[in-house]
Amino acid sequence: MLNQLLKKIIRTGVGPGRFIMAAAGLTIAMLLILSAVQIQVNYNELLYGKNNQDSIANFLVINKVINGNKRENTLSKEEIEKLKQQPFVEEVGLLTASRFKVSAQSPSDNFPFYTDLFFESVPDKFIDVQSKDWAWQPGSTTIPLIIPNQFLDMYNFGFAPSQNLPQLTQTMVMALPIVLNVSFQGHPVRFTGKVVGFSDRISSVLVPQNFLEMANKQFASQAEIKPSRVVIRTKDPGSPELVQYLKDNGMVTDADKTRFSQYRKIVNTIVNASGITGGVMLLFALLVFSLFIQLTIAATKNEINLLITLGTSPKQLQRFLVKQFLPANVIITFVCLAVVAILQYVLQGYLQKQNMHISSLVSYYTIAAAGIILLVLWITNVSTIRKYIHQTEK
Amino acid sequence: MQIQLHGVVPVPLKDKFSKRDSDLWNTSVTFLPGEWIKIVAPSGTGKTTLMNILYKIRHDYEGSVSWDNKDLKTISRDELAYLRQQKVSVIFQDLRLFENLTARENIELNRVLQKPYYEAGKIDEMAEVVGITHILSQKAGVCSYGEQQRIAIIRALVQPFDWLIMDEPFSHLDIANTNKAATLIAAECRKRNAGFVLTDLDEDSLFPYTKSFSL
Repeated sequence: MLNQLLKKIIRTGVGPGRFIMAAAGLTIAMLLILSAVQIQVNYNELLYGKNNQDSIANFLVINKVINGNKRENTLSKEEIEKLKQQPFVEEVGLLTASRFKVSAQSPSDNFPFYTDLFFESVPDKFIDVQSKDWAWQPGSTTIPLIIPNQFLDMYNFGFAPSQNLPQLTQTMVMALPIVLNVSFQGHPVRFTGKVVGFSDRISSVLVPQNFLEMANKQFASQAEIKPSRVVIRTKDPGSPELVQYLKDNGMVTDADKTRFSQYRKIVNTIVNASGITGGVMLLFALLVFSLFIQLTIAATKNEINLLITLGTSPKQLQRFLVKQFLPANVIITFVCLAVVAILQYVLQGYLQKQNMHISSLVSYYTIAAAGIILLVLWITNVSTIRKYIHQTEK
Repeated sequence: MQIQLHGVVPVPLKDKFSKRDSDLWNTSVTFLPGEWIKIVAPSGTGKTTLMNILYKIRHDYEGSVSWDNKDLKTISRDELAYLRQQKVSVIFQDLRLFENLTARENIELNRVLQKPYYEAGKIDEMAEVVGITHILSQKAGVCSYGEQQRIAIIRALVQPFDWLIMDEPFSHLDIANTNKAATLIAAECRKRNAGFVLTDLDEDSLFPYTKSFSL
């Protein structure tokens, strides 16, 4: 009953038009900020979500830029240590090069070839080839090899047609034994090489690490050399920080894999801008709403004064006024959350068709953001009401 | 509850009362519980000011006023609200009704501001006694002064109180209506063992006053 009477007294002060305007401002701002949060979450999901991952792209081979000024372009220990500490680098694997001369030739005259060769090795976890043959037993003369896929492509589509040679499948190459001659003090030491896989990740002729260690110890003709290439594992090859770091430190990697970073920068900027816009709008909306409350209280100054004179406690009045404004805030929050949820559902369906996967439900972050905003609104409501009731009171 | 005044003088009237004596200004007075007090004074001597000071809506005075030994100037907002709901009721000279509320709503508001002292039906009973039953559903703003004054009287009587402060409560009423209203007020005060402070321009014998002051 008291509330009905208070309502009648206060309502005469401010018309519904102003209330609707204030509520509309708040709704727009709330929609903007909630969608900004949801967009940010979707964006991260698209970037890092398991369904959207490209495993090849997560490994990058990095080397110094070769500009012709230096004879050697190796990576120092410090440079590698620094690289390891970068936030975008998860793991670093050194590519060890062979320090001896080696040649490869065909064992058969039907298919003759001869080439000088080199080896490199890298820890197994950086290799994209799964093969049970990828192992070397000490003492064995059979060496498993991994060669780049590009080699086979170059041969099949460039070399073979020009030399009138047959094209080879992966299986055929893997079946072919290769004679490897390692030069040791002027004499050849003979091994048999066997290709066990083709790598898309590392463009080098790879041998097992333990073999290269042994061979370097035994056959090395030159002093130990610093690595000139490393493989890194990263969550996000398109990360603009990674690209910037490489550029700043005179390093390069496969440009194809990092090209995405350009677009990322642009999208990042847009996403952040939408967040900032939402934030600023929310500030304005809070301002508008608290001005509206002030206006209501100012317009009913005399009535509030008389109520207090008659013995209405400031607490009763505050509770009443909060009850007048807060339900609108709660409703606006829920409506906005519902709208964002619907938009998200629609967006999910649309992106699904483009083979991009996001959740069809609003994120917890968005719900949490709505909760926080509601809390801020509540605090703003209560403090504005308290402040102006005390000001109004003589 | 007792009301005490110590050397109270309103700042605007300070010069005037430094030259002459008064029963209430610049002196110490105690209103004991249940006393029926009449204050008679000509216009411009601060009757309304005194009522406003007693009810704590004016603070521009020297000296101190206490309700039950508590200085009004130090009382908190919430305490004040409690005292106004439970201990002290008031009839203003300028009536102070909500013009947009009906007569009944004006009275009802003061009835439900605290845990109601009376049932809602009591409003009709009292309205009957003072003769305003016919205007209960009219907006207070359109009622005559005489009717508004009776609404204000009933409004003051539907709440619990130890003291009733009345500032020229019958100024707009004829003798017959004044008598009816005074009878009702006396009955309600007796029922609560409550005291009152009433100001007026002239002497009267509407109540068996226990004390009389002039300003």
